[in-house]
Amino acid sequence: MRFLRRWGTIIVLVLAAVGFSIASPYFATVSNLNNILFSMIVSALVSLGLTWVVISGSFDLSIGLTVTTSSILVAFLIPILGPWAAIAVALVAACLIGAVNGVLVTYGRLSGIVVTLGVMFVLSGINIFITGGYQVPVGYDETAFLYLGQGKLGIIGVPVLILLAVFLVALVAATRTRIGHYIAAVGDNPMAAFYSGINVYRWVILAFVLSALMSGIAGVIVTSISSSAQPVGGEGYLLEAFAAVFLGATVLGKGKPHLLGTLVGVFFLYMVDSGMNMVGFPFAARHIFQGLVLIIAVGANALLNREEVHLKFI
Amino acid sequence: MTDTALVELKNLEKEFAGTKALKGVSLSFLAGEVHGLLGENGAGKSTLIKILTGVYSPSDGEILLEGASVRVSSPPEARRLGLGAVYQDAELVSSFTVGQNILLGNEPGRFGVSDRAIHDEATAILADMGIDLDARRMASTLSAAEMQLVTLATLFHRRYKLIVLDEPTARLSAAESEVLFRIIERFKKQCIAIVYISHRLREVQEICDRATILRGGLVSGTLNRGEVTEDRVTELMVDRNRSELSIYNDGSRARPEVLLEVTELATANLSPLSFTIRAGEVLGITGPVGGGMEDVARALGGVVRHAGKASLRGKAIDVRTPIAARRSGVALIPEDRRKQALFPALSVAENICLPILNRLERFLTIRPGAMRKYSDDVMGQLAVRPRNAALQVRFFSGGNQQKLVIGKWMSAGASLYIIVEPTNGVDVGAIKEIYDIILQLAQDGAAVLLVSSSLRETLALADRVMVIHDGKCVAEAPKTHWTYDELLAVTLSGKSKTAA
Repeated sequence: MRFLRRWGTIIVLVLAAVGFSIASPYFATVSNLNNILFSMIVSALVSLGLTWVVISGSFDLSIGLTVTTSSILVAFLIPILGPWAAIAVALVAACLIGAVNGVLVTYGRLSGIVVTLGVMFVLSGINIFITGGYQVPVGYDETAFLYLGQGKLGIIGVPVLILLAVFLVALVAATRTRIGHYIAAVGDNPMAAFYSGINVYRWVILAFVLSALMSGIAGVIVTSISSSAQPVGGEGYLLEAFAAVFLGATVLGKGKPHLLGTLVGVFFLYMVDSGMNMVGFPFAARHIFQGLVLIIAVGANALLNREEVHLKFI
Repeated sequence: MTDTALVELKNLEKEFAGTKALKGVSLSFLAGEVHGLLGENGAGKSTLIKILTGVYSPSDGEILLEGASVRVSSPPEARRLGLGAVYQDAELVSSFTVGQNILLGNEPGRFGVSDRAIHDEATAILADMGIDLDARRMASTLSAAEMQLVTLATLFHRRYKLIVLDEPTARLSAAESEVLFRIIERFKKQCIAIVYISHRLREVQEICDRATILRGGLVSGTLNRGEVTEDRVTELMVDRNRSELSIYNDGSRARPEVLLEVTELATANLSPLSFTIRAGEVLGITGPVGGGMEDVARALGGVVRHAGKASLRGKAIDVRTPIAARRSGVALIPEDRRKQALFPALSVAENICLPILNRLERFLTIRPGAMRKYSDDVMGQLAVRPRNAALQVRFFSGGNQQKLVIGKWMSAGASLYIIVEPTNGVDVGAIKEIYDIILQLAQDGAAVLLVSSSLRETLALADRVMVIHDGKCVAEAPKTHWTYDELLAVTLSGKSKTAA
């Protein structure tokens, strides 16, 4: 029972991988693994960011649009400021979005869902306003900038390495520093944290800033990968991120979101996507499968992890 | 113990919406002393403590810390100044380990958080305190008593100068209480001042160097160790001047037939207890908070696991879950209205009609007119102000909310009403009206079980009074057998003077 709780999700992941490998000779190859990793970069960054906010006990619906905004800002500013300053401005702007979310949720006494939903609409308006609805191209001579998204070190893509670096830094922050410790405490029992003399608001705001920062990094990479910024399309990352975070909560039987779990969750979703694609399932079937996996994984975990009364429906 | 005052309170006053909870309290706490704080409900103990720990700010007066005037504006500020408290219902972060909880907000190291360093230090603290607990255990697996001990352990490394312990033994067994007393001795040696709030006189006699008795928002006396006797404390505690409420249950409502019969009811904190209540009778259960009286209510309401049988009108009833209890005709009106009984964001009508929605339906849809009319009637009967059934419950005062909770169950036709601390947080004006409503329930032939730590309330409303102390019924007698002073003496000492 305890074994299943801890390893259940991983076992299912491995079984699925084995299944796909048998069904398709192209699945278990280095190049396909590379493909899966490459395709999940943006989604993974966004999901890792969202994990912070969910741990802190709130929700962030604005992450998808933050990707788009940062992506556009970078593309827009490169001709003006040069690539490095443009990246810096885009990331600062992303942090600002997070700070606004965080301040409104804490000092503003608004619900996280409402605030970030509002910010999401505002951002989508701003994005179209800046671009006029057209894509913003990045010049092909910006080789240094394009290397971030398109370069390779050996056989591994540079953005994969960026993701890995961001993940490792975040993992250390979450498990080895006060940041992760206090955000988890605040999310679990804000009252106890308050009475322990912890500045509750500060850590909630920080969670939102970290979330937005990671989405901002994702935005920069999106622009670099496609040599342009699209004014729409970031919304899709949001739902994937939620799926990954809650799927990730079941990894290692923690029952609450954690960064490693989220990364495994994203990988699971993209691996299944790739595998079903190779075996020849239609696009619709993949969505159905992903939805079922999410419900079954989280549901099974809840069954194994039974509390006395279940009275939370969010 | 030294003779220098660590904390000095000068003429503290606190006013809540026109009512003075503190009317000028001057007190000093010495470094290294254990200072008992006693008083009836409403005497101002909790207000005083909340001012001291930054939850409230005083309307007037001054707090001196080591001779300098300080402003304690918030709990974190109090903590910074070295004023700490352990509340009765202490909170822990349940997904953290014991060690992480003990050191929460004060982790060793500058920036990094090392799991091993935390648990090593926590283990040392636990060993030092003589608490036998694994620092790596999850807080969610602790019992209530263990949680209390862990909360105490959190005080250890915080370098507090003054620590308030609010009924610290309420959830502890005798052996665990001994651990607590040892911890207090250690705090004394470190020259920390302890403010010890308790309703158990024996403990105060045993460990307090001095004890202050509050009465009606004023200090009525401070006793030195050795002067703390049952008679002296009772004399200082009872407020002879307090105007008696004009309500008194003269026993005329009780009818001969036995309505509720409870045999061998027992929970983790309650030794087997048997009693009966007749139709129209009010049985008052009182005693120290946490002494087991709450469990009688919670067991019969189906909220807590229990052994024993209950029957209504001679028929056995099932009270294993709240739903079953409701169905059997038991209505539990809990102490914590906001958390347990009301839906603050819903309107009065939606709250009141909840138990009887099926009566207001026609073709599976609720008739809004009937709902409005029914709620309006109830509000009229209970004198709820403002009389606006469409208003959200959170906009009503504590007293009016309490009336609404009772109103919610009134017409659901319960045979047994269990009412816990009905006037907690209720303004004085509404208390009489709530008493009227409770007696009306008895008048209509229901059995009423009143669980209250207020002796005045118990003596005013009950036909019979039962005192529960440390999980055991120590006295039971018709109300006419008790005087206020005798009842107070029994609840303080846990020893029965009168023959039950």
